[in-house]
Amino acid sequence: MIRALADDAVSGAATGAATGAATDLEIAALLWWAFDGLLALGLLGLAYQVVAGRQLFRSVVLFIIYGLLMAVAWARLAAPDLALAEAAIGAGLTGALLLSAYRNLIGTDGEEGPHAPITPPAGAPPMTVPRWAALFAAALAGLLVAGIGWVAVGLQPPEQTAGRLALEQLAESGVENPVTAVLLNFRSIDTIGEVVVLFVAFLAARVVAQELDHAGPGDWLRASQREPLLVGPLIAFIAPMAVLVTGYLLWAGGHQPGGAFQAGAVLAALAVLLRLTGRLRPRLEPTLLERSVLVGGVVLFSAIGLAGAGLAGAVLEYPPGWDYRLILLIETVLTLSIALPLALLFSGSGGLRQEVR
Amino acid sequence: MSSEFADSGLMTAELLTASAELALPLVFFVPLLTALLVFWVGSTRAPWLPPLGAALTVAAAVVLIFGVANGGPQSHHLGGWQPPLGIELYADGFAAVMIALTAVVGLAVTLYAGPYLRGKGLSLEHFWPLWLIQWATLNGIFISADLFNLYVMLELLTLTGAPLAAMAADRAALSAALRYMLLALLGSLAYLLGVALLYGATGSLHLQEVGALLEADATAAIAAALITAGLFAKAAIFPLHIWLMPAHSNAPAPASAALSALVAKAVVYLVLRLWLWVFPVLLTAPMGWLIGGIGAVAIVYGAVQAMRQPRLKPVIAYSTIAQFGYLLLLLPLVVLPAAALPAWQGAAYHAVVHGLAKAAAFLAAGNMIYALGHDRLEGLRGLTPYLSVSMLALALAFASLMGMPPTGGFLSKWLLLSGAIAAEQWLWAAVVIVGGLLAAVYAFRVLAYVHAAPPSGWVELRAPRRLPRIMEWTPVVLALLALLLGVSGMPLLQLLAHGAPEIVTQWAE
Repeated sequence: MIRALADDAVSGAATGAATGAATDLEIAALLWWAFDGLLALGLLGLAYQVVAGRQLFRSVVLFIIYGLLMAVAWARLAAPDLALAEAAIGAGLTGALLLSAYRNLIGTDGEEGPHAPITPPAGAPPMTVPRWAALFAAALAGLLVAGIGWVAVGLQPPEQTAGRLALEQLAESGVENPVTAVLLNFRSIDTIGEVVVLFVAFLAARVVAQELDHAGPGDWLRASQREPLLVGPLIAFIAPMAVLVTGYLLWAGGHQPGGAFQAGAVLAALAVLLRLTGRLRPRLEPTLLERSVLVGGVVLFSAIGLAGAGLAGAVLEYPPGWDYRLILLIETVLTLSIALPLALLFSGSGGLRQEVR
Repeated sequence: MSSEFADSGLMTAELLTASAELALPLVFFVPLLTALLVFWVGSTRAPWLPPLGAALTVAAAVVLIFGVANGGPQSHHLGGWQPPLGIELYADGFAAVMIALTAVVGLAVTLYAGPYLRGKGLSLEHFWPLWLIQWATLNGIFISADLFNLYVMLELLTLTGAPLAAMAADRAALSAALRYMLLALLGSLAYLLGVALLYGATGSLHLQEVGALLEADATAAIAAALITAGLFAKAAIFPLHIWLMPAHSNAPAPASAALSALVAKAVVYLVLRLWLWVFPVLLTAPMGWLIGGIGAVAIVYGAVQAMRQPRLKPVIAYSTIAQFGYLLLLLPLVVLPAAALPAWQGAAYHAVVHGLAKAAAFLAAGNMIYALGHDRLEGLRGLTPYLSVSMLALALAFASLMGMPPTGGFLSKWLLLSGAIAAEQWLWAAVVIVGGLLAAVYAFRVLAYVHAAPPSGWVELRAPRRLPRIMEWTPVVLALLALLLGVSGMPLLQLLAHGAPEIVTQWAE
C-alpha cells in the first residue's frame, strides 16, 4: 500500500510540476494517505471487535462489515478482481452462511433473542484461557507479525517474476484480463482444484448434516401469515437484475475485472434470496440436473484439458485458435458449478425445489 | 520366436516409457473424474464404478512408476507453459515411491471400504467421492512442483480428510474432525503466508527455481519457519499432534487407514521435499538438530502414550505420531557426508513401510470392531476364531513398526541407524534403537492380550459377527507386503535413486 502511494505521489508530483498544479496533487496524495490510514485502522479495530466481542450476533455483523472494508482495501491495492470476489463471497455469502449458522445455534438452545451472549452449554467447563497462555500467544503472534512486516518492507523485488511473465504473454492466452488468463490458462489446474474445494465442502456439509429442517426460513409462508407486501415486487425486480449482472460479470471476465467466481457468487446470492423468501425450498437429495451442475464445471474443464494432450501439445493446453471460445464455455459452466454448492451450503440441504404456490 | 517375444517386450517397454509423461496428469485426473462420475451416477446404482476407477488409477500409477524406473524423472508442463509462468508436474524416484504406496494402500482401502461401511450401516454415497478425490489429491501432492498449487492440494487434503474422519457422525467423531479441520486450516494459512514471502523474494513459485534463487536471509528463514510450522500442524508432529489421536481413532477403519498411512504422511513428505529441494541453503547442522530433536521427542512421546491406551485404535494412532518422528531424523543426518545417502534411503523406505504396516494395523483393528463391536484391548482375551487371521495381520504389522528383522521396518531403521553410526551421531543412533524398543513394548502389550486366556467365568454373551473374506485378507496382504519389503530392498531403492536431491548426491561424487 505504501509503495503504491509513493508511486501515486511521485507520478503526481511529476505531472503536477508540468501543469503547475502541484499543491492540488499534494493535497490529493495527503487525502489518500488519510483514507488509507483510516481504512487500516478500521480493519484492525473491526478485527479486534469481531474476536473480542461477547455477543455472537454482533461479531457476525461486524465480520460482514469487515469483509466490505477488506473489499475496499483490495480496490485501493489496485486488485479489483479480488475486491469483487471479497465483497461477493467474503462479505456476502460468508455473512449469509454465518447468519444462518447463528440462527441454528440459537434455535437449539431455545429462543434467547438475537443479543444473547455466547454461553457454553450447561455443565461444560468454562471456556477460559489462562492469562499467561493468552499473553504468551499474543507475544509470539506479535513477534511473528513484526518479523514478517520487517522482512516484507525490506524485500528487494526480483528482476523477473511469474506475474510479469503473465503480463508479457497475455496476448497468447486468448483473453485480455490477466487475472482470467492466469486462472483459466496459465495456472488452470489451481482453478480446477478450487472448484473441487467447493464441491468437497458441499459433500462435507452433507456428511455432517442433520435431518432436513423442512420449514426453512420465511415464516410468513405458513398459511396463517401473509407475505409482506413488498417482497413480491422486489423479487420481480431483483431476480432478473441479478441474472443480468451474472451474465455481465461472466462476459466481462474476458477483458476486464470479473469472471466465473464473481458471477457464480452473484447467482448464489440470488438463490439465497429466493430461499429466504420461500421461492426455493430445501430437498433432501439433489436431482439428476443438480448433480450434473455440481460436477459439470470440473468435468468439462478436465475433459477439455485432457483432450489438449491430443489436440494441442499438453494437458490443459487449448487447441490453437480455440482458446477464447473454450475459456468462455468453461467459465459459463463453472459459474453454475460455483453458484449451486454455495446456494446449497446456505440452504443446508442436498437439493432445492421450486415452491408451488 | 524368443527374439520376437523380446522385441515385443522391448516395444512395450518403450511405449510405456513414452506414455509415462501422460500418466503424470492422469494419476490426478483419473481418480478425480471417477469421484465426480460416482457422485453423478450414485454409488448404489453402480457399485462397480469405484473399484473400476481405483483399478484405472493404479494402472496410471504403474505406467508412471515404470517410466520413472526406466527413463528417470518425468515432467509435464501443464497447458504447455514453462515454469515459472505455468505449473509443472514432476515425478522423481521419491514421488514414484509414494505414488506406489498410495496405489497399494488406496486399492486396499477401496476393496475394504464397501463391505465395512455397509456392514456398519454407514452410507457409501458420500464416502466414495470424498475418498477418490482424496486419492487424486494425494497423487497431486506427490507430483506438483508448484508451491501455490501445493497449497490448493493441501486444502483439498484437509477438506476431504475432515468429513472422512467425521463419517461415524457421533459426538466424538464430529468434535475430533472439527478440531482437526481448524488446526489444519491454521496450518494452511501459515503455509500460504510463507509461500507469499517466498514469491516476494524470488518471483517464482516453482520448487526447484525457488530453491535455486533463495538466499539464506531473514526472509527465507521466516518463510521456512511459517511453512514448516504450518505443515507440522497438518502432519500432527509433536507438539501440534493433539488432533490426530481422536480424529484417526474415531474415523471408520478404512478412513483411519487412509488418514494415517497416506494423508498425514503426504504432509511429512512435503516437509522433507521442501527442506531438501527448496530450503537446503537454510539446512545447517543446528537447524537439522532442531527438527531432528522434535522428531526424537515425538518418537518417545508417541510410544509412551501408545503404551497407556486401553483401546486398540488409539494405540495405533499414537504409534503414527511416534513413527513420523523417524522421518524427521533425516534432516540432522542428511547434512553429514557419511550419513546422507543411507539416511535418505532409510527415511523414504520408512515412509513406505510405515504406510503399509499402518494401513494393515488399522484395517485389522477395523475387523475387530466389525466382529466384536468394540476395540477394547481387554476384549481381545480369549480370541475368537474369526479374528485369528486379522490378529496375524496385526502382529506382522507391529513387527514391521518395531523394526524386527526380516520386515521392511527393520531395513528402514537399519539404514537410518547405519547412517547415524557411520557419521558417529550416537544420539540419533540411540533414538532409533530406543524408539524400536518402545514400539516393541506397546506392540507386545497388545499381542499379550491377544494370547491371554479368557478370564475365568467368562461367557460369550453375543456371538462375534462373521467377517467377509475380503475384509479378513486385505490387512494380511498389506502386512505381507511390508514383510516382503524387508526381504528385498533393491527395487525400491533403485527407483528412489532417480532424481535424488542434490544435497544427498553431492557427497557421492
